Amino acid sequence: MTDNSDSYMITVIGHGEFEQQDRTLLQSIERQQIDVHYHCREGFCGACRTRIKKGSVTYLTEPLAYINDDEILPCCCRANSDIEIELD
Amino acid sequence: MKYTTFNQHTVNALLEPMFFGHPVNVARYDQQRHSIFEKLIEKQISFFWRPEEVDVSKDRVDFQQLSDSEKHIFISNLKYQTLLDSVQGRSPNIAFLPIISLPELETWVETWSFFETIHSRSYTHILRNLFTDPSEVFDDIVVNEEIKVRASDISKYYDDLIFATQLWQTQGEGIHQAYGETHVINMRELKKKLYLCMCSVNALEAIRFYVSFACTFAFAERKLMEGNSKIIRLIARDENLHLTSTQHILNLWADGKDDPEMAEIAIECREQSTAIFLQAVEQEKQWATYLFQHGSMIGLNKDILCQYVEFIANHRMRAIGLEAPFAITDNPLPWMNTYLNSDTVQVAPQESEISSYLVGQIDSEVSSDEFDDFDL
Ligand SMILES: [Fe+2]
Ligand SMILES: [Fe+2]
Repeated sequence: MTDNSDSYMITVIGHGEFEQQDRTLLQSIERQQIDVHYHCREGFCGACRTRIKKGSVTYLTEPLAYINDDEILPCCCRANSDIEIELD
Repeated sequence: MKYTTFNQHTVNALLEPMFFGHPVNVARYDQQRHSIFEKLIEKQISFFWRPEEVDVSKDRVDFQQLSDSEKHIFISNLKYQTLLDSVQGRSPNIAFLPIISLPELETWVETWSFFETIHSRSYTHILRNLFTDPSEVFDDIVVNEEIKVRASDISKYYDDLIFATQLWQTQGEGIHQAYGETHVINMRELKKKLYLCMCSVNALEAIRFYVSFACTFAFAERKLMEGNSKIIRLIARDENLHLTSTQHILNLWADGKDDPEMAEIAIECREQSTAIFLQAVEQEKQWATYLFQHGSMIGLNKDILCQYVEFIANHRMRAIGLEAPFAITDNPLPWMNTYLNSDTVQVAPQESEISSYLVGQIDSEVSSDEFDDFDL
C-alpha cells in the first residue's frame, strides 16, 4: 500500500505522537481514533484546515481551499519530515 | 464609471484588482492575476451533473410513510433551499459581473451561477416526483412568513450593492436622488457594500445550507428519501467549492493581495462582518425551531441541530480570520462528514467517468515529481 521510507513521526498536540502510515495525513490521524473534522477529502472545501507548528508536508493534489502560511490540509497531504500539528 | 461589454482600451489584467478596476475586455486565461479562480472553474466543471440522472422514484413511497411532522421538515427544507438557490442562480451574476475586472474571476462567477441553476432545476425534479402538482409547494415560498424573513436578509446585501452600482454606472459619484431617497455614491461606499455582500454570500453558502443538509442526511441515515439525499450530496459538493471561492476573495482582500483599500475596509467592517455571521446563525436556529415545531425526527432534534450550526459557524468564521464565537469544539453530528465527502458521490456510471476524465486532464498538468509520493 504505502512505502514506509517516509514514515515520519506525527505529533498532534493534546493527542500524543504516532508514525505516519497512510496515504494521507488525514488517514494517519483517523487511524489513531482522533476526531478530526473533514468534508470533501480532496482539498477543495478546507474543512480539515489544521495549524502546523513544526515540520513540513508534501501535497498529493494541489489544495484549492484557502490556507494560511501556518496551515495545512491533512486530507490531501503527507508529512515529509517529523511534524507537530494542532487540531481546532 | 459607465459599463461596457467590451472595453476598447488596452488594460493589463495582471495589475487590475478583482473588482472596481476597468471592465474586462478579452476573455483570456493565459495570464492570470489570481489563478485560483481558473482552478475553481476546472474543478466545478469536472463536477457537472444532471438532476434527471438521479433516480428519485423510490422517494415517493418513502414520503407517504413519513409522519406529518417529518413531512413538514422535509418539505420546509426543500422550500428554503429553493429560495437560496433562486437567489444564488441570479445574484452573483447581476451583482458582481458589472464590477469585475479580471477575466478569470468573471468566468468563475458565471460558472458558479450556472451550477446554481442546476440546483434550482433539481428541486423541481424532486418535487415533481413527490406530487402530481408541486405548485402548492412553490407558491408557498413567497408567502410563508418563516421563509420571507430569511429571504429579505439574504437579498438585502445583494440588492444594496446592485442599486448603488447602477447609480454609480449611470450617474457617477455624488449625491443622487432616487425613489424619494438620497444616496451618497462614492468608491469607498461601493467597496464597503461589496465587502458586506461578499460576507453575506459566504455566510449563506457556508452556514445557511447546513440545517437542511443535516435533515436530509438524517433521513438518509434511516435509508429514507435516498434519491433526494443523493441530489443534496451533489449540491453540497458544489456549495463547498462556492464557499471556498468567497473565502479566497475575502482573504485575498484582508491579506492585502488585491486592492489595498479593501484590506482597510476588511478591518473597518470586521464588526459588521461578524454580525452578518451571527445573524445567519440566529436565523438558522429559529429555522430549526420552526422545523421541529410539530415534533422531532429520529436521530435529530432542535438542540443538536443548533449545536451543529454553531460548530460549523466556528469553522467558517475562523477561515476568514474572524474569532470563533461559540464554545462548542466537538462535532455533534459526526456522520455528516461521510455525506459531505466528495469521493463517494456518484451519479450514473457514465457521469462519474466523465468527471474522472476531466480530473485526469487537470492532473496531467502537474509535474511528474509531484507523484513521487503515490503508490499505485
Ligand atoms: Fe446552490
Ligand atoms: Fe452555491
